[in-house]
Amino acid sequence: MRNRVIVFLYFFSVFISVNAQNKFTTKSGELNFEASVPSFVEVIAKNKNVSAILLDNGDFAILALVNGFRFKVALMEEHFNENYVESVKYPKTTFSGKILDFNVSDLSEKEITYTISGVITLHGVDRSLEVPVSIIQKNNSIVLTSNFVLKPEYFNIKIPKIVNNKIAEEINVSVSFNLTKLNSLDYE
Amino acid sequence: MNKRRKLLYIVIVIIIVSYFSYNYIYQDHRDIKTETAKVEVTGAELLEMFKENESPGVLNSTVQVFGIISELDSHSITIDGSVHCSFDEEVQGVNLNDLIKIKGRCIGYDYLFDIVKIDQSTIIK
Repeated sequence: MRNRVIVFLYFFSVFISVNAQNKFTTKSGELNFEASVPSFVEVIAKNKNVSAILLDNGDFAILALVNGFRFKVALMEEHFNENYVESVKYPKTTFSGKILDFNVSDLSEKEITYTISGVITLHGVDRSLEVPVSIIQKNNSIVLTSNFVLKPEYFNIKIPKIVNNKIAEEINVSVSFNLTKLNSLDYE
Repeated sequence: MNKRRKLLYIVIVIIIVSYFSYNYIYQDHRDIKTETAKVEVTGAELLEMFKENESPGVLNSTVQVFGIISELDSHSITIDGSVHCSFDEEVQGVNLNDLIKIKGRCIGYDYLFDIVKIDQSTIIK
């Protein structure tokens, strides 16, 4: 009887370790964007409180609170929230997708470039996105970075004519996440 | 003489207008540290507000939150497992499970972690 219990426990523990999906998370990722035009005041916003969750099967989700973007010029921040992205109506922007051909065991201190594919939601509008991401593993954390270009018109964001020539048509977005391991068993 | 006076007026008006428009365009950022908090609640109460309404009145407002430190990082403190407060400077002199009161700007609800986020935090006590 006792042996049976031990055998059962053994298989049970194997079963758990196979099924335990590793989660890598952060609540303080960075998402910056720049829409500067030469010879005008620079348009740069930084958000250092972006959440992200990566599962070891490559599923990846990001959530950035729109109010968390901080600009150099206070008035720019106000206009961004009130007129452009309407942060009261649409308080968050999200991304949900998958890193293609991702395998945690491939990661090392040497940078690997993957493709991430998913849907970005901003200003109540969904748009599919497929961009390259660079990933390295450092000690116990996974560092994921990416740069890509978005346009305000993709998300039905209208830039008033009066400032049209001071804001670039193409917005350079850069993201950086330092994800640390969180076991799903002690997550709930 | 009359012509010179006219010119002087014009120059003065231009100076005044540019002074005010400069001040308007480059107005200072809000100083959360010195703003009076709109509400003073526990971590759980603030989370509850966002569960009821996606954009409650406290969004983008200065709030004061108190509770137990459930998570501690170099630049952030989580209160009661429900409010994540980020600091511009490094967090010092506090420990896990301390009772704490924090003032900051409420930036919204994060459904990935089921928490409310606050930035530009300062420790009140």
